[in-house]
Amino acid sequence: MRFLRHLGAATAAAAIVVALGLAWAHFGAQTLAPGPQIRFKQEIVTMPPGSRQPHGTVAAGHGMRGGGIRVGPNGLTVIRARPFDLGLGSMFDPVNLPILRHTVVIEAGVIAVVVALDVLRRRSRRSWRAAQLAAETYRPDDEP
Amino acid sequence: MLYDRAGPAAGTGRRRRVAARTRLDFWFDAVLLLGYTLAYSYGFTGIAIHEWLGIGLGLALLLHLTLHWDWVIRETGKLLRPRGHDKLIWAVNLALLVAMTLCVASGIVISRVALPQVGIYTLGGPFWERLHVLSAEVTLGLVPVHVALRWRWIVRVGRRLLTRRSAGSAGRPG
Repeated sequence: MRFLRHLGAATAAAAIVVALGLAWAHFGAQTLAPGPQIRFKQEIVTMPPGSRQPHGTVAAGHGMRGGGIRVGPNGLTVIRARPFDLGLGSMFDPVNLPILRHTVVIEAGVIAVVVALDVLRRRSRRSWRAAQLAAETYRPDDEP
Repeated sequence: MLYDRAGPAAGTGRRRRVAARTRLDFWFDAVLLLGYTLAYSYGFTGIAIHEWLGIGLGLALLLHLTLHWDWVIRETGKLLRPRGHDKLIWAVNLALLVAMTLCVASGIVISRVALPQVGIYTLGGPFWERLHVLSAEVTLGLVPVHVALRWRWIVRVGRRLLTRRSAGSAGRPG
């Protein structure tokens, strides 16, 4: 019963956010600056010599060396000649691993920065407390 | 309370076991982080997995919020008290709730594979596409902060869980 109550409250919180999003879309859609739609930057992946071109990708154009694979405007997702591409061919394709690595690197970087800041904060607070304690316990009369 | 005693024998052996709820939180959150990382890597998973994973993440986040609703109530009540750290966590969590909900909702609105597969066709539109990209980028910044602000808990529980596991497997015959 308690779980259901909490689930209801959590659902209500999410529903409020969705309602705010709908209101934003209705009343102020133009406030969201137009930018690139779902598109990922073009990336160039250099494959090891002799490796086969992954299914669905297009070969490199001019100006690329070393057997690279140039992937189209949707990034490393597979480009197919079919008119309606669901992108199913790119599922867990090793050529697309740099995208996953990119995400992991960003997450790891942010985590490292936050942890370092937290450690520094705690350390400085501890030393400040130690200094406060030392100042409180220090008595000039105690000196020999 | 994160840990509980493992029965009467634990008092003498001073061996504490990780509470079932803490284990659930730890592994569920680990799966959420992994799922989010995969879902964000759209180009790696392909659109079909990206969309289904996103819908699954939406439900999982709702469950995550439900499991921690007590914390939400407790910390919201403490907002006026003079203490900085938990307020920062509260603010990050609120921003993450908003960004993640908008990301999942806009993803559902612009779904091209998952929902049409079950016969639901949404209208989409440039606003929702831009909102999806924007909220996804915001969550990519907030998710690691959300994780890192609890790094002591993660290290403590992770060490305890993994130590227990390795100790258990070492003690097994064969």
